[in-house]
This record gives sequence, structure tokens and C-alpha cells, in this order.
Amino acid sequence: MSTILLETKQRGRRVYLELQRLAKEPWLALSILAIFTLLALFIVLPLVKVFQMSLASGESSVAGGSVAMYKEVFQSWYMRKALVNSLVTGVLSALLAVLVGFIMAYTVTRVNVPFKKFFNLVSIVPVISPPFVSALSILLLFGNNGFVTYNLLGIRNFPIYGLRGLLIAQTITFFPVAYLSMKGVLEAINPALEDAAFDLGASRWRVFGKITLPLAAPGIASALLVIFIESLADFGNPLVLAGSNYPTLAVQAYLEITGMYNLAGGAALAVILLIPSVSAFILQKYWVSKKSYVTVSGKPTRSTVKSVSGAMQWILFAFCVVVSIVVLVFYGIIFVGAFSRAWGFDYSFTLRNFSYVWDVGYKTIVDTVTVALVSTPISGILGMFIAFLVVRRNFIGKGLMEFTSMLSFALPGTVVGIGYILAFNTKPLLLTGTLTILVANFVFRYVPVGIQNGIAALHQIDPGIEEAATDLGASSQTVFRRITLPLISPAFFSGLVFAFVRAMTAISAAIFLVSADWNLMTVQILAQVSSGRLGAAAAFSLILVGIILVAIFIIRILVDRLLGVKFETRF
Amino acid sequence: MRKSSLLVAFLLVLTLSVGAFAAPLMVYSSVDEENARDILAAFTKDTGIPVRFVHLSSGPALARMEAEKDNPRADIWMGAPSENHVTAKQRGLTQPYFSPNAKVLDAKFVDEEGYWTSFYMNPMGVAMNTAWAKKAGVETPESWQDLLKPEFAKEIQMPTPQSSGTGYNLVASLILAWGEEEAFSYLRELDKNIQTYTQSGTAPSQAVAVGEAGIGIQFTPAFLKYMDEGYPLQLIFPKEGVGYEAPAISIIKGAPNLEHAQALVDWLISLEAQNKFGELKTYFFPVHPQAVAGEGLPAFNEIPLLEYDAIWAGDNRKDIVDKWIDEVLRGQ
Repeated sequence: MSTILLETKQRGRRVYLELQRLAKEPWLALSILAIFTLLALFIVLPLVKVFQMSLASGESSVAGGSVAMYKEVFQSWYMRKALVNSLVTGVLSALLAVLVGFIMAYTVTRVNVPFKKFFNLVSIVPVISPPFVSALSILLLFGNNGFVTYNLLGIRNFPIYGLRGLLIAQTITFFPVAYLSMKGVLEAINPALEDAAFDLGASRWRVFGKITLPLAAPGIASALLVIFIESLADFGNPLVLAGSNYPTLAVQAYLEITGMYNLAGGAALAVILLIPSVSAFILQKYWVSKKSYVTVSGKPTRSTVKSVSGAMQWILFAFCVVVSIVVLVFYGIIFVGAFSRAWGFDYSFTLRNFSYVWDVGYKTIVDTVTVALVSTPISGILGMFIAFLVVRRNFIGKGLMEFTSMLSFALPGTVVGIGYILAFNTKPLLLTGTLTILVANFVFRYVPVGIQNGIAALHQIDPGIEEAATDLGASSQTVFRRITLPLISPAFFSGLVFAFVRAMTAISAAIFLVSADWNLMTVQILAQVSSGRLGAAAAFSLILVGIILVAIFIIRILVDRLLGVKFETRF
Repeated sequence: MRKSSLLVAFLLVLTLSVGAFAAPLMVYSSVDEENARDILAAFTKDTGIPVRFVHLSSGPALARMEAEKDNPRADIWMGAPSENHVTAKQRGLTQPYFSPNAKVLDAKFVDEEGYWTSFYMNPMGVAMNTAWAKKAGVETPESWQDLLKPEFAKEIQMPTPQSSGTGYNLVASLILAWGEEEAFSYLRELDKNIQTYTQSGTAPSQAVAVGEAGIGIQFTPAFLKYMDEGYPLQLIFPKEGVGYEAPAISIIKGAPNLEHAQALVDWLISLEAQNKFGELKTYFFPVHPQAVAGEGLPAFNEIPLLEYDAIWAGDNRKDIVDKWIDEVLRGQ
């Protein structure tokens, strides 16, 4: 009894001290408050609206208090199959993508092979996968009449529809996410540790198993988590490649809403989809927080690279070459399609697809770039800042902040889109049809990747460096800007790139939020694909990829300049 | 003289600027982007009414209208088959309007209570990739029964009725023509030759155009578009008859710009507009009895049409789709 009393007293005192500390730093307290308000507004509110909708009774879609929808979902064998398929696909995709991403990142950062810059580029580019067109490209490569399957191997009726096609597509589209975060993490591991182990006589496998891998574990865990969730929420690939025989939850949620006009049913499926996503998140958080490693603890170091044997070096090299070829062919097909008279059939050269796109889509291209340019810096800085607060500061509701900011990432885009319309269509929050609603959607949907990368990177940096700065009189703001941000700049960079890419390529939520004033290229691509203009869709996609590549280059230079980090040594 | 011309110029500028400031008509268009753009530009040219539109396929359009119900952002929903407009009417999302121009239309194109008006139609069609057919050495199928032949095994793509209005239209029109038992036994047989049921109603045309599938089933416009682009397709209307869709237009309840919305309905079903469908290469069949179908369209009276009942189809959707999932899809 008395111990409980004592504990309560102690906790009360801790809260008091905490408040006192915050009062000394009003800037910090205000930002925490502002972030909580934004999270409540743009993540929690739409989610609550969707949850309300899922409790609507039957077809009428009038929000009420019935669980009829959930009952119906669980009684249907088809929906149960969708749940199982989603989980199986999510696990396999995450494992495959992280494996490919890790090998590529390890080779680029630790192994002495030629063409590293090229491998780096090849591993970043597929993060840009224009929706639908990339799935179409997979069909043209591995489908019944596919270039690889039919023309090279002579197989007609290769069963591409279902798990197989989906895994190919998701591995190609998601491994860059793993690569970017693995690379950031591997670069942040001080090579002096590995060198020390070698000097002490450890074998290469031992060094890898006992030092490199455990140090990379938090990064691997967060990449697995992110890709598992992404795969669960992906609907562009399964929509084209899975067909009805292989239902998945995100697609079924989308189809309930758009095919059966059943908002309530779709919302219920989305809420069910949250369970595995959130579980994965909690599992990862528990695991990572148990294993915290500090490797950057002062001056930067340079290392002699000797992590792998000569034979292994060339096996890794061969692997990278194969991945590069697949990626190049994947884009090559789109490139060829954009300049062909009839993609997939008549490959004679033409520029008419581009003149058509210029004619129909010029304004959309400008809109899309504007939306991406506005949302990227907001998303990047917010992500790093939340990561910084979560890892380095103690405040009430810290866990809640991390949890909430991750939440919208785990929801299928369709439902976020619907949630946004439900939440922001009436005064005083009348945002539908504006630039704000698109920007808010992209910022809060994709900031979790930045946060995760930031957290993983921060876990590896000794807080002592920042504490030293604080002791010398720097404020939280200065510490964040001058010390933390430059140290985690690879994670910051990948957060920015990811935010920009997603603002340019996302479709599932955006399709509900575009308007006559603000339209997006992805929505146009979908329209072109469904009305039979494959060449125009390919041309649109090519322009999209081009814009993103230019933007990544500019972001890299800006991050260099603003943070005073020489990137040549890192990228 | 000079004064009066100045005055005229002033008045002209005034009217022009008033015209420019008038709120444009906001359209949710389930007609594809390119056709919607052409059709609406022609409307603005004829009437001077400014228009803005967003392309949304029927599902997202309905979801959006429902979510925006308390504060409608658009005036009118153009396109998507009439059964979807029946759904919109039942959900209380639209409002009635009898256009004076609708009197000449066939009764099946106008809602009894005036909630929706169909303004064009598309027949269901079967298309075969002729390059594939040559290589595989198969003959052109002429009927639905021919599609059951083993030579088409795993070569046919059709949209799933779960998500696609096109897929549902195919299933529902066969049930209406043959009765539920016979239609389902046919669909179970056909399932053996199905490569995949696509989620989107227009995906089969892509697959058959690039040779991914030998045969595709869907509404004709995308097939005709691909043929125009130079893909090797042959369009077939099975001799037992095909269903059709009659895409409609509805005015959204609480439309901020009601007057102009009504003007668009009037214009779309006028003889001049209906003739434009051909000139604009939309591949849409006009509904106006005197209108001329465009170049490249098969003669309408030679297509064997099945009767279709959009209201029955709309009312029985859930039961039929559930039965299809249980009997056809599960049977695999």
C-alpha cells in the first residue's frame, strides 16, 4: 500500500518536474502542442469518421451503432480468404524486399565492387513506380504474352495472376524503401567497430553476424514493418495483378466502396486491416526499444573495406547486376511504350503520345508538381522533428505521439480519402477541393516513413553529443538544427525523397481528393489506362519519373547546402 | 459616334467579366477524361456556360457524393450506367428533372420520376486478338456457347461482377435472358476458360490488345478505341444477343448551380449534341431516335440486343454477386 502511494507520489513529482522543464522551453512545449493538434485533426479525426461509418447499419450508410458489418465480413469465406492472403503477401513481400534491399545496400556500402554509383541509382529509382503502368509493365514482362515468359522461355499461360505476380511487383516496388533505410543505417555504423573485430582475429561471418547484423537490426526491423504495412495497404498492384481469385483486404475495402457502393462495409474492412498493421507496429517498437546500439560517438571515421571474401564479393556483384537488369527492363518497357504507336503490339516510333499528354495534361503536371513541392519539406522536417522528440525528449504522451503519427500509414488510402471528405467537407473545416487537403493528406500519410528512418538513425547516435551542446547553452531548436539533423541527414534525405515520390505517385487516397482546380498525374494515368490509351499512360509515367529524378537531384544538393554536409562521401 | 462605340465596348467588357465571374457548372464525370473534355467543351461553345469537371469512375463518384451529401461540391453527375443512378436516387443523392427534350426518348432511357436520363448507350461485346488467333489456329467464335470450347482454355478475360458494373451487367443480362439456373450453369462452364476476372471493367480490352489474353469481354468503346489505335482486334457480337449499358446523367441534390445543370441535361439529349457524339469519335451510340451513329461504329440495328432491366439489376445486385462468388468463383 505504502509503496504504491510512494510510486504515485514519485510519478506526480516526475510529471511536475517535466512540466517545469517544458515551461523553461516554451518553444518546445508549443511545438509539442502544435504537433498534437495537427495529428488529432488530420489523422485521428478522419479515422474516427471512418470508424463511425463502419458502424453504420447495412446499406443505408447512416452512421449508427451496429456491428452488423463486422459480422457479415467474418461470415464470408471470401473475406476470410482476403485476410489470409493479405497477411501471407505482406510477410513474403516484406522478407523478399528487405533481403534484396539489404544485399544491395550492403554491397554499395561495404564491398569493393565496380559500378556502385550505378547500383545505388538502380536501387533508388523503383521507389518511383507509376501506379497501374508498373503493373502493366510486369504483365508485358512476365505475363502470358510476356517478353521474359513467352518470348524468351516459350511459356504461354504462365500463372502470373495471384500471389506470384503480386510478389514480383511488390518486391520491385518496395525493395527501394528497404534499400534507402538499410543504406542510411549501414552508413551510420562506425566501420571502426568492424575493423576492431577483424584486428582481434574474428572471421568475416563472425563480424557480419555479431557486429554488422545486430547493429543493423533496428533498421531491418523498421524496414520490415514499413514494407509489411505498405504491402497490406497496396491496392494498385493487386488491382491489376491479383484478379478475383486472389482477394486481398485493401483491394476488397476499395471494391466494397467503389464497386458495391458500400461505404460502411469498406470502412469495416479497413478497420480489420488495422489490426495486423498495428500489431506489427507494436511488436517492432518493443523489439527495437530492447536493442539500442550507439555507434556514432564523436569524430567521423574512414575504414578500409575488407568485410567480404573475394568470391563473396563477386557473388554479391552478380546479384546486383541481375537486380539492375530486371529494373532496367522494367523501366525500358515503359520507355519503349511511351514512344510506340501501339504499346505491346506496334513498336514503330512516334511522338504523338507526348503531344497528347502535353495537350491534355499540362495543367495536371503543374498541379502535381506544386502539391509535391509544398508537401515534401513539411513532411521531411515534421518527420525528423517527431523522431527527434520521440527519441531524445521526455514528455507526457510521447508514446501516444509516436503511435498516432504512425497510424494513418497503416490505413488503406481509399479509406483515408473517404475519411478526409467526411471530416473536411463542412465548416469550419471546409477543405475539400483545395490544395490544403491534398497536402495534408500526403504529409500525414507518408510522414511515418521519415519518422521510422529518423528513429532508427537516432538510436545509433550517442545522446552525449547533443547533451554536450545543451550543456554549452544551446536551445532544443539549435541542438536539433545544428547537431541532430546533420547527423541523421541520410535519414532526412530519404524521408524527403520518399515524401516527394509518394506525393507524385500515390493514388488510392488522392482519387477522392482531386478536384477541377487540383488534379494529379496518377489520376490521369488511371484514366488513360482505363480508356485504352496505353501509350499516353506510358508517356505520362515517363514524365512523372523524369520529374522525380530531377527533384531527387535537387533535394540532394539542397540538403548538402542547408545542413553543411558533404554528400559525396555518403551518396 | 466615338462615344457610343466606347459605351458598347464598356458594356461588352462588363458582360464578359460578369460571364467570367459566373460560377462554372461543376461536373463529376464518369465518362472518360478525353470524351468528357470534348463533349463539355462543345456544350460551353453552344451555350456559353462555363464548365469544370473531375473524372471519377462510378464507385468513387458515388462515394464522394455520399460523403459530400451535407454540402454538395458538384452540380451534376454525368456518365456511369443507369443502375448506378438508380442507386444514387435510392440513397437520396440526386433530384428529379424532366427535360423537355426527353419526350422523344424511349421510356427505358428516362427514370419514371425524372431522377436520371440516359444520354448514350454501349452494347456488350467480345473481342479477339487476331494475331493470337492466327498463331493458336482458332476460329472466330460466333456465340456465347462457342466461348466454352476447350481451345479458349485460360484465354478469356472478363471483369468481375463484384467490383465492375460491366461484369455485373454481363451476368445480369444473361440471367434476364436465360433464367437464373441456365445463366449460372453457363457461367460455371465459362469459368474453365477464364484466365482472370479483372477488377476494372475496361481491363480486358488492354489485356486482349497486347495479347496477354486471346479474348476479352466488356462494353465496346475501349475495343473500338484500340482498333482505331492499330491493335489487331476483331469485335464479335455473340448471336444469342448481348446486353447493353445506358449511361445516364443526374442532377445532384442541393446542386449550387441548378439552372445550368438543367441546361446540360437539355443539351446532352438534344439532336445536335447527339449527332456530335459521332463527330467527336466518342464511340458512343446516341439514344436520340433521329441521331446518326458515328463513323467506325457497327450498325446499331444489326447488333442482337438482349432486353435489360436496370431497376431489377440494381435491386438484386447483392444477391446475385454473392451467388456468383459462391458458385462460380469458389468452384475453382
